[in-house]
Amino acid sequence: MRLVWMVLALLISSVASATEVQVTVVEPYADMHTGPASEYPAFHAVERGEAITVMSSHTGWYKVRTARGVEGWIPGNALAKTILQDNKTFPIDDKNFDAFQQRLFEVSVFAGRIDNTNALSANAAWIITPNIAAEASLTQALGEFSENRLWLVRLQHTAFPDWRLSPYFTLGAGQIQTTPTATLVQSGAETRTNDLLEVGVGVRYYLIKQFSVRLEYKRLTALTERDAFEELNQWQLGFSVFF
Amino acid sequence: MATRLFRLFLTGGLLASGVVFSTLSHAQSNDVLIEPELKRDVVTEADINSNDFEFGVVAGFVSIEDFSSSAVYGLSVGYHVTENLFVEVQGGMAEAGKTSFENLSGGAPLLTEDERDYQFYDLSVGYNFNGEIFFTDGTTFNTDFFLTVGGGSTSFGGDNKFTLSLGAGYRVLVTDSIALRLDVRDRIFSSQLTGEKKDTHNLQYTLGATFFF
Repeated sequence: MRLVWMVLALLISSVASATEVQVTVVEPYADMHTGPASEYPAFHAVERGEAITVMSSHTGWYKVRTARGVEGWIPGNALAKTILQDNKTFPIDDKNFDAFQQRLFEVSVFAGRIDNTNALSANAAWIITPNIAAEASLTQALGEFSENRLWLVRLQHTAFPDWRLSPYFTLGAGQIQTTPTATLVQSGAETRTNDLLEVGVGVRYYLIKQFSVRLEYKRLTALTERDAFEELNQWQLGFSVFF
Repeated sequence: MATRLFRLFLTGGLLASGVVFSTLSHAQSNDVLIEPELKRDVVTEADINSNDFEFGVVAGFVSIEDFSSSAVYGLSVGYHVTENLFVEVQGGMAEAGKTSFENLSGGAPLLTEDERDYQFYDLSVGYNFNGEIFFTDGTTFNTDFFLTVGGGSTSFGGDNKFTLSLGAGYRVLVTDSIALRLDVRDRIFSSQLTGEKKDTHNLQYTLGATFFF
């Protein structure tokens, strides 16, 4: 509970420190909508030369206030055609494919299968060069007889980073923890942890804004104490958001 | 033959890297020559407060199949990608009750106290249908009716189960940063706690307050 209050306090303080920016409209006019989406009706228009105050943003829409105090939402592309007091254009941080290629961090989530079990993964990646990324992932695979938790760190090589659709290859290592289900525990099965190696291929496709989709296949080798290594096949589909 | 090919490849590689290196160093020296004395623009988009993240607390009821209904509490964190699309993680907990059989027979309980702890998380993708609600002529709030689909895990009866989560909800934005939410979710996982293995539907409805930041 204390954590919740701390988070709330942090949120409120972040709002309190918000800045408002004065801009001047240079296009003939821009429509103001009642909400931050194109579906909301346009109820007012700002004209060329009018000074407006930008208050906040929500998914590419900006809340503005006119000199007369009318408040409404205009899309980012309309705001890009305004100028600041020193005659500079308003610097909109456009999330497009160019920005995607220069991304530094990426967070992904996946759903898929490891052999016969459903698996969910969460990944965080640091894009070191356009081709090479370092990634860490946590996976939970829930089967009928056991629960598997995997953590892996990997290097990922993207073959053609300037293509929207590009294949990539991965090499990684980590651990797998297997916990048998309650019914099996009663018959004497135990939790075990093994080292894990990964080789994978995948394709990623840049979708829109900060989004891309990824489809992967991975061959996982668990280094067990038994004579034979345990081989696992993982398929997964997911999406990534970059920052 | 192979050695010759390898040597050719190596020479090619060396030449190529030489060209790249010289262009790089050339470009660098150019940069130094024409580096302008620019003053940094004071205003950037980052100065404007963006409200794309949504943090919320929820409370309500969950009907755990065969184990009666109980109060459920949870937290959610979401990220709004476009005006329609959002992703969200929700986690929560409840304490399961007793089955009708346990109540009627008065016999040994099916689960221990610990095994009755019902905990879950799920990760969903949602789609907002934007709208407005008119309370009076002059009082209007922006709203979203949304549908979600996702997957996650439920810990119940001593095991973690893969869970499919289907939901629908309604969000009323009281201000730009505070919203009230009504969520209905069906969390589906397979269970054999009452004998035969079956897909259980665990319906939960919650009221929540969320904060955009």
